[in-house]
Amino acid sequence: MSELLEVQDLSVSFDTPEGEIQAVREVSFKVKAGEVLAIVGETGCGKSVLCKSILKLLPEIARMKSGRILLDGVDITAYGERDMCRLRGKMFSMVFQNPLTTLNPSLSVGAQIGEAVKVHHPGISRQDVESRVLSLLELAGIDHPKERMKQYPGHLSGGMRQRCVLAIALAAEPKLLFADEPTTALDVTIQAQILDLLKQIQKKRHTATIFITHDLGVAAGVADRVAVMYAGRIVEIGKTAEIFRDPRHPYTWGLMRALPVFAKDKDSLYSIPGMPPSLINPPEGDAFACRNEYALEIDYEKQPPMFPVTATHFAATWLLDERAEGLGIKAPDFVHLKKQGKETCRTDEEKRKETPEILLDVQHLTHIFPLTKKETLRAVDDVSFQIRKGEIFGLIGESGSGKSTVARCIMNVYRPTGGRILYQGIDVCNPKMFRANRKMLQSCRQMIFQDSDASLNQCKKVCDILAEPMKLQHVKPPRGSYRAEAAFWLKRVGLEAGYLDQYPASLSGGQRQRVAIARALSMEPALLAADEPVASLDVSMQAQILNLFKHLQREHGFSFLLIAHDLSLVRFLCDRVGVMYKGRLLETAPVEEIFQHPKHPYTKRLVASIQIPDFLEDGPERRDG
Amino acid sequence: MNEAFRVVGIRQSLQLPAGRVRRNWRGKPLLSALLFVLIVTGCLACDLLMTKDPSYMDLQHYCVPPDGTFLFGTDTMGRDIFSMIWYGGRISLGIGFGAAFIQTSIAVILGAVSGCAPKSVDRLIMGATDILLSIPNLLAVVLLQAALGKGSVPGIAFVIGITGWMSMCKVVRTQVRQIRNSEYVIASKCMGGGFFHVLWHHLAPNFVSSVLFMAVMSVRNAIVAESTLSFMGIGLPVEVISWGSMLSLANQALSGRAWWMILIPGLFLVVTLVCLTNLGNHLRRRVNRRHSNL
Amino acid sequence: MNSRKIVAVLFSKMLLLLCSVFLLSLLVFYVSRLAPGDPLMSYYGERAEKMSPQEQAYARSRLGLDEPLAIQYARWLQRAFRGEFGISYKYKRDVREVIGGRIANTLLLGGVGFVLVFVLALALGVVCAWHEDKFLDRLLCRIGTVTSCIPEFWLSVVLILIFAVGLRWLPSSGAYAIDSGHNLLDRLKHLILPLTVVVISHLWYYAYLIRNKLLEEVRAEYVLLARMKGLYRRQVLFRHCLRNVLPAYFSLMAISVPHVLGGTYVVETVFSYPGIGTLLYESARYKDYNLLMLLSLLTGVTVILCNTFAQTVSERIDPRIRREDGESYEEEEQ
Repeated sequence: MSELLEVQDLSVSFDTPEGEIQAVREVSFKVKAGEVLAIVGETGCGKSVLCKSILKLLPEIARMKSGRILLDGVDITAYGERDMCRLRGKMFSMVFQNPLTTLNPSLSVGAQIGEAVKVHHPGISRQDVESRVLSLLELAGIDHPKERMKQYPGHLSGGMRQRCVLAIALAAEPKLLFADEPTTALDVTIQAQILDLLKQIQKKRHTATIFITHDLGVAAGVADRVAVMYAGRIVEIGKTAEIFRDPRHPYTWGLMRALPVFAKDKDSLYSIPGMPPSLINPPEGDAFACRNEYALEIDYEKQPPMFPVTATHFAATWLLDERAEGLGIKAPDFVHLKKQGKETCRTDEEKRKETPEILLDVQHLTHIFPLTKKETLRAVDDVSFQIRKGEIFGLIGESGSGKSTVARCIMNVYRPTGGRILYQGIDVCNPKMFRANRKMLQSCRQMIFQDSDASLNQCKKVCDILAEPMKLQHVKPPRGSYRAEAAFWLKRVGLEAGYLDQYPASLSGGQRQRVAIARALSMEPALLAADEPVASLDVSMQAQILNLFKHLQREHGFSFLLIAHDLSLVRFLCDRVGVMYKGRLLETAPVEEIFQHPKHPYTKRLVASIQIPDFLEDGPERRDG
Repeated sequence: MNEAFRVVGIRQSLQLPAGRVRRNWRGKPLLSALLFVLIVTGCLACDLLMTKDPSYMDLQHYCVPPDGTFLFGTDTMGRDIFSMIWYGGRISLGIGFGAAFIQTSIAVILGAVSGCAPKSVDRLIMGATDILLSIPNLLAVVLLQAALGKGSVPGIAFVIGITGWMSMCKVVRTQVRQIRNSEYVIASKCMGGGFFHVLWHHLAPNFVSSVLFMAVMSVRNAIVAESTLSFMGIGLPVEVISWGSMLSLANQALSGRAWWMILIPGLFLVVTLVCLTNLGNHLRRRVNRRHSNL
Repeated sequence: MNSRKIVAVLFSKMLLLLCSVFLLSLLVFYVSRLAPGDPLMSYYGERAEKMSPQEQAYARSRLGLDEPLAIQYARWLQRAFRGEFGISYKYKRDVREVIGGRIANTLLLGGVGFVLVFVLALALGVVCAWHEDKFLDRLLCRIGTVTSCIPEFWLSVVLILIFAVGLRWLPSSGAYAIDSGHNLLDRLKHLILPLTVVVISHLWYYAYLIRNKLLEEVRAEYVLLARMKGLYRRQVLFRHCLRNVLPAYFSLMAISVPHVLGGTYVVETVFSYPGIGTLLYESARYKDYNLLMLLSLLTGVTVILCNTFAQTVSERIDPRIRREDGESYEEEEQ
């Protein structure tokens, strides 16, 4: 097989007022025709920028500082916009992350696909375009293509739109397809479908694919080769089996240990400590050193070169240097890790069984949103469940299943159309009862929102944000001043007091979510409702926040309503789980029960859709070479 | 073994603070601010600047082009334009700020009420604003002006203020609606924040910048309105000196080819307006971090 | 959408329009009579001052001004339904004739001005957006801000000073020269200066709006997808971004019709251009009640019609807002 794409020593940086962001640093890799390369890394590690810089789709502030890009043996480094336009679509193409924003909302789907066909076939007749569009829609697995092509993106669901984007990307039969997190923004069950579709098409057309993802599990499922990126560099690259069976870079170890498979029945999730460094003035030496428990002295001084492990497997870590051989540092034994666990935290559960007192009782909750004068949306339909004291209850379902509405009804944000919600026997939906107990209810129930960006007022300092609930409830600060109190809670969630005078905008997503948690906890609530608290965070941040939740819950003993779409997260944290689908609560059961014996067909599909990387399972060699 | 190959583990590395933002004046309307301050102080301190009594009609020297004694010349009634500009600027600016104050207060109060109120009240207020908006502005001003009698400074400010708040009110309402539905307001309500708490701690700080922008723009529009009205003869009479009433002599000036009577007060007016616009735009401009995809 | 629905929608819109017009007329009627000033002055001119009280009383009753306001209004309303709006006190002719004689002038000035603003603003906005933050864009933005700040009347006077008084190239007032009849070239000459003022004073507002909307669109993700297909940047701008901006622009321009058309009164006054604007101004000033009522009704109806039109445009044209019944969001289930 010949090299289709060869990237040599590519560096890209952005000029911003704060300084130069070195988004991609000296990256080299090759892709053969028909091969699937997965690029794995956390948000902001430069994987998207890498792709867009190959396609030359970056904004003007981006600069290619060095490197060469060879496409089919032709050097396209110096190509201008006109030349690139000829290549785009035909030679390479891209599928973007969020199908809700990548389609033009005011053009019909058919017109947008047709446009992609016409660009590279000038003078093609109208009938030919239409038949091409139809066949593309069929290829992308869309039923009733004739009707669909006249519809606008607004009429289609997320999965459908992603299929349309795929159809556009494949319109001119490109040789190389970039897929930038094509499933991240979709629901779990649909993610699996889109992945299958991608695999099918890849097989059918032998399109070389560069698959960008933050999820090692997904990468294991689709790729021939995997490249791990960190802070703008590729730190390890090799065949999928090599990477998963014999990872060499400590960062790869960390990513693997953070996979949910290893978290089953564990006390805490593994998470890589700290945060990725800022790419403005990245640190000297290895950027990962300050999060690496095996960091060597030299890591802080000198950037490690790529060491070959085998002919196809390379890793950039000093541990592979011959001088480090004597240290005896080895990758964690993943097979063993997977078998570990099971015996912890049973005691807790038994304890819980002894206190069957019900804290929150939701009875036949129904909520209807009026859409237009005639249409209504039954967002929540006859939902009943109980949460006991000190219990963690998980509510899972895909977007639009009504789980957030349930939480908001419980918190008195919406007044439900029907049903009762009893909190310690008080009907909170009854205005009279609510008013009589308002103070108690408002301080005992706290909520954490999904988007910490929106739930913290951008105009206020962290200190004021934390003090707000205390001031509202006229709580005398036990530690003297509100500021001291805020500092205390900030410390509880793992942030330093230095953040007190920052504005939310200058914090990272994980830090903001910690502030939101601190604000909720500062009231010492008896019930904490969290609406997708980690959905917008990176995997390693997710693990940190989840560990924090578990730790705090054990310490404070509050009841916890966790709303999530991610099954593995629920499995780690929750005692009992309820599954919601289209406003209905399909089943509730203890968490292991749901995973071992799902009853409802939807739950079965949900459980089946979790990507379990099978690289550690014993069996025949996977497709190597 | 080499000293460099020793496991040291995680070490708190001091990462250089992400390039401190240099305090730069680029993109800030420095020149506009400076000019505006100059004009305003000039007008406020007009007593020190004026070389002649602005309202004294020197009938021997009428329509004198700019020279040593009359820096900007005299008008058709023999008044010294240089002195009139500073003196009249005080009134023009005063009317501008006064009218803007009235406009902004009405717009903010009604808009906030409409944004927070239940649907029926909201509809009522918005319906009324729409009907008021459909009355031609000139008509409203002329009628009100006539109802108030002879043009006086507070009268004009009142008329301009009372006729110009409608579109601003609509903007405020939309903003309030937007902020009201945001998650931090919901969060605050969950924690027990009452209406006034939310209004003061969450709504106000978040729409203060856009209100400021609109207020500055309404100062500008009020100054334009005053000068236009005075020019058309429905605003201030010629005896009350303002930039508008000075320009109302323009028709006579045209026949006498007295360019200084038209250009000089007009330039002062335009420069003030441009400064105000630049300042206002700067207040509104948000730092847009996203970059063009084109 | 079936025809019955359309009829129902139209009917409700018409009802709303009638209500608004009624309220508007009531408002204008009462406020105009609240103001001091004597309508006799505009009917009899100087003579009114010399009239004896008896003569004045007689004149008032002849014009129907002696009755209580409510009855006067009822009378006016009754006649208005028959399509009669009374005579103008000043011109002593049917107000419809008075307006009819001048409306064409305003429509010419405002209409041509409107079309020019519409086209030029679009072009200017696109040029600025294309050169975002480059020299040309910055220059145009600077110039635009300054032009949008110049008061119309002053611009008119300055243009007259330069082109009519100074250079003597163009006439300074009127719609046509008295002696040359209705020569087309002559009309054009008279139109140039007022038109320039109308265009300049409105242009930047709309151009800036187009520019900002385009800049927003250009940041959308679909632009990347469109470029990914292999389209040139120019094609993406015109086929995708501009297309998405246009519905909003159309509806905005529809709202602005009365603003541009009716906003010509200052220009008309300065250039002594015989149009509706000056008429409105005079009638309000000198209590020509009948003329005032009809004029304000006309402008009010235009405003409301244009608003309704704009709303309909943005609802119908824009597929982002349009939703066919019951077809949205089919679930993906196999």
